[in-house]
Amino acid sequence: MASNPLQLLPSELIDRCIGSKIWVIMKGDKELVGTLRGRVLKPGPDRPVRSGLDQVTDREITAEGRRITKLDQILLNGNNIAILVPGGSPDPE
Amino acid sequence: MSSGGEKGTATTKTPADFLKSIRGRPVVVKLNSGVDYRGILACLDGYMNIAMEQTEEYVNGQLKNKYGDAFIRGNNVLYISTSKRTLADGA
Repeated sequence: MASNPLQLLPSELIDRCIGSKIWVIMKGDKELVGTLRGRVLKPGPDRPVRSGLDQVTDREITAEGRRITKLDQILLNGNNIAILVPGGSPDPE
Repeated sequence: MSSGGEKGTATTKTPADFLKSIRGRPVVVKLNSGVDYRGILACLDGYMNIAMEQTEEYVNGQLKNKYGDAFIRGNNVLYISTSKRTLADGA
């Protein structure tokens, strides 16, 4: 088992989260919590770096006055993702 | 670590499966601006460009407009979500 965390690439870390809870913090006051179902790597001529599209189930927490929207299943655009936190949000709600 | 898809019953697993399953179904598309579009997904591509039918535009949760056919350029799209209520029932 390669267990030295320093040798784990960031993308491998995300791959390990597939099937478990994840907390997605977006640019600009949006957050989502849900179960990561997979991700899309999109190499393209105009995008040398992949843009991850993460498919997340369940709920969205929007911090614009804390509006909460619950969603069954979504395909999330990776463009505005700032941080991914494995294990979900500390917020119990 | 296993990919435990234990609670995905009628739903799908990977993003690719998800995309295949939602074509022709009622969806909610949220843009980065916060505007929601509800309608029937006609087709979409890898850029998240979307063609929709029977589209309803919601701004702050209020219905503002209706379009028969709509094309949404993918760069504006925040997410695509399945919608539980069918458009025929709700509209």
